[in-house]
Amino acid sequence: MKEKKEYMDLALWAVEAAKKAGADAAEAFITDSESVQINISERQVEQVNAARDTGIGIRVMKDQKVAFGSTNDLSRTSVQGVVADLVKKVPFHTADEFLVIPGKDGGLDKPWASYADVITFDPRIAEVTVEDKIKKAVALEAAGMDFSPKVKSSMVVIYQDNAAYIYLANSNGLAGFWPASGCGGGAEFSAAEGDDRQSGSFGKSYAKYADFLPQDVGRRAAENAVQMLGAKPIKSCEVPMVVHPEVGTQLLSFISGLLSADEVQKGRSMLAGKVGTKIAAPVVTMIDDGRLSGRLATSPVDGEGIPQQTTPLIVDGVLKTFLYDSYTAKKGKTKSTGNRTRSSYQSQGGVGTTNFYLKPGSAKAEDLLKGIGKGFFWTQGIGLFAGIDVASGDFSIPVAGFMIENGKVTFPIRGITIGGNLFELLSAVGQVAADLTWLDPVGCPTFLVKNVKIGGA
Amino acid sequence: MTDRTKRKKMSRREFLGRGAVSAAALGFSPALLDVLLSSTGCTSGAKAGPYIIPEDVLRKAVGFLMAKGADFADVYVERAAAGGVRSDDRTIDTTTIIEKGVGFRAVKDGRTFYAYTASFEPNDVFTTAKYVADAAAQGAARAVEGAVVQLAPLSSRLGFPITPAPFDQPADAKVRILRELTDRAWSADPRVVQVLQLLREIIRQVNIATSSGKIIDQTLGLTEFIAQVYVKDAQGSLQSAYDARGAYAGQSFFTGENAFEGIVDRAVEKAKKLLEAVDSPRGVFPVVLGPGANGVLFHESCGHGMEADLVAKGSNFKDQIGKQTAAKGVTLVDDGTIPAFPGSYAFDDEGTLSERTVLIEDGIQKNYLCDLIWGKKLGLRSTGSGRRQSFRFPPIPRMRNTFIDNGSTPPGEIIGATKRGIYVGDVGGGGQVDVITGNFMMGVGEAYLIEKGKITRPIKAATLSGMGIQALKSIDMIGNDLKMDPSAGRCGKQQTAPVGVGMPTIRVRNILVGGKGEAWDDQGGPK
Repeated sequence: MKEKKEYMDLALWAVEAAKKAGADAAEAFITDSESVQINISERQVEQVNAARDTGIGIRVMKDQKVAFGSTNDLSRTSVQGVVADLVKKVPFHTADEFLVIPGKDGGLDKPWASYADVITFDPRIAEVTVEDKIKKAVALEAAGMDFSPKVKSSMVVIYQDNAAYIYLANSNGLAGFWPASGCGGGAEFSAAEGDDRQSGSFGKSYAKYADFLPQDVGRRAAENAVQMLGAKPIKSCEVPMVVHPEVGTQLLSFISGLLSADEVQKGRSMLAGKVGTKIAAPVVTMIDDGRLSGRLATSPVDGEGIPQQTTPLIVDGVLKTFLYDSYTAKKGKTKSTGNRTRSSYQSQGGVGTTNFYLKPGSAKAEDLLKGIGKGFFWTQGIGLFAGIDVASGDFSIPVAGFMIENGKVTFPIRGITIGGNLFELLSAVGQVAADLTWLDPVGCPTFLVKNVKIGGA
Repeated sequence: MTDRTKRKKMSRREFLGRGAVSAAALGFSPALLDVLLSSTGCTSGAKAGPYIIPEDVLRKAVGFLMAKGADFADVYVERAAAGGVRSDDRTIDTTTIIEKGVGFRAVKDGRTFYAYTASFEPNDVFTTAKYVADAAAQGAARAVEGAVVQLAPLSSRLGFPITPAPFDQPADAKVRILRELTDRAWSADPRVVQVLQLLREIIRQVNIATSSGKIIDQTLGLTEFIAQVYVKDAQGSLQSAYDARGAYAGQSFFTGENAFEGIVDRAVEKAKKLLEAVDSPRGVFPVVLGPGANGVLFHESCGHGMEADLVAKGSNFKDQIGKQTAAKGVTLVDDGTIPAFPGSYAFDDEGTLSERTVLIEDGIQKNYLCDLIWGKKLGLRSTGSGRRQSFRFPPIPRMRNTFIDNGSTPPGEIIGATKRGIYVGDVGGGGQVDVITGNFMMGVGEAYLIEKGKITRPIKAATLSGMGIQALKSIDMIGNDLKMDPSAGRCGKQQTAPVGVGMPTIRVRNILVGGKGEAWDDQGGPK
């Protein structure tokens, strides 16, 4: 896959067309992507979906009002039609003094694609044949099915990849492109022993095709199913909890949402007004880093052309700052942290994380269990998005995991819930282990929470 | 399988963190709508052409798909336009998305090969069709020279009018509607600190041509309205709640109980109640589910496990036809023919007529939800349940409007017979199921304590979870107040699809309730 000059030209042309049609400022964002999705069942292809998607998203600004539209019809007639429609509609929008299409100030000097250290792109992902990818996906399933005779079937086995060139141009002089790519796989298996049936899943994405080892993914998913055999509920109680990175990364995604300046400024985050104060235990440091080499969310600029950066958000338990794009930065009288995220031409994007992680400590993961007389080791959860109320921070989540007794994992547990509050949980983190695990684009080590309310049989 | 409305997308089946171009949104523009609506007469439903791509091009494309020995093939042509009017932080803006494309499917030995192109040019159409045919052949190529397919148009009496046509209403009128609704929410209570609203109108025209000789032209017009409200009290406690409705119809559907104003008012009321709410008790005890929207609990806990693809792979409902999977008296229906409901359509996305499918009758499993491919694997006919999000996806078996049918007990008796438990007004928080074990969960938006047979204080942050069949079997009271809910819910099984739900008041004898309040035992009293 290569850059196409015609798309850069089209983005510039669309911006010019918007200006001519009466816009004060405009921005065009084009994504040109190739992707493959393969589903495997019983060591054979169940479904192959090969796709190429190209489209343009356009923002026009007039009298401090902004309108957005997109199309995957890239004929100039169609793009001109979208522009004309937006210019016609923009007067009905609400004026906002903070709306902004950024200029070159503080931007990168060189062409974006030349910053190799912050480009995550493996040309192999688009070059490798579909047949080879099918082999990898079959190997993923086989590794899981062969992990143990107790593994009975696969429910989902999937390989996905995506390679894209992203083009951005605006009327304030920002213009350029960069490539991005990723690949990965995942599976869900059932395991059975007697009448007992359990499920387990695992998925992981990678920056480089060569790094994707399907056997590792398949085995881990199968292990997650097999190790739950014999799981039972426990009685309601209040105990310490050790959080495995596979669920810790999911939990972090909800915390990161509260660090968005947009949520804060609009009164939707309880962290509003807390900068400079202690919001978490001293062992908690959380960082958003859009420049981490080889990570999936790394790129030279964000979704509006601002350089991505490293932003420590919580340091030793103290809230330092929020994540900003140009709009929220202007509103908050500060600078963008390069966090305008935008997944496709169909979206004008919003404030979001890049590579977000909980900084690891020095302890070994198993040492976190040592001081616990009776506790819960949380390894699986479902429906976190429905079980966590990000407004109040209150959560109750159906979970599975293991009993900890006298510092050791004893038996698997299913059929219980954990309840608490995210903000209280942050303050109750006792220890963070050294085993930082990336389930891109979020990284999390094993960590200990001093107390959680378990609901059970 | 996850279902969500307002909350952030968090599916463990989405393995790629970013870079992937999402295909979720659709949009509308006046130009495209002119074309769409002039060809459809503003009716959501089926008719016979003229087609988006000429019939002879479609016929040839199906021929190319079949030319290398595929067992079945279809071509799916779509053009769509979606308009959104959004209110956030008192600011109102619009988005417009226009999409078009052609999807090609060839099925060989039960395996599906799929690709799509955004181009309607015959050459691009034929090239992509040949590519898919080659992929499906894969070494076992038995070239069938000159595969000729004849196409005959199908028609259906089902059709849902779209009034007003979205493009007939100018952008400033839509903005005015949102402005009034925004002001209504902000002025409803001094504790309101934020209001989000979205009015979304989508028009999709679809042509399907299949190797079995069908050709179909159908247009669907989906309108959705969602209101979310944040409230904060003097103590600094922040709560949010939402309400939503969606229909395969125009704005004229949104009157009476479905009026935009009512949706806004309910969101405000739910949020205010959360400020007074106590922490949900936790443990296993009786739960009474109010009528209507709570049907999503059964969509999640049971419906997914009855989708043919998941049945074939070993869901907890596999091999259950003729067996008891629910308590006596429980009848579960999936109906794709209810006028204007979000899961209704004349034809599914592989050209099968939609229908009303009885899944469980009086506690006995009767059927599964089948598309052509997975139905065949199970030896069952298609129930018209093959749905796709857009031309970017091959069809998979999906639910439509899923509900538990009426029982005979007055709802008041059900609450009165419950000494201690919780009453769920609206689960509303989305949910997820693991179909292997049947383990499901639902977040709860609006709920109350039941004390001595009476609904008392509101509770917050509860979840319900359990095992699908076990939950269905522990239903011990069924109300006579069936209510269908045209929620703006989107089911997120690999692809998103609008779905409806419904149910009467129901009591589940014991189910695991999560919360951070008191621990209760299974009689519903504190330990």
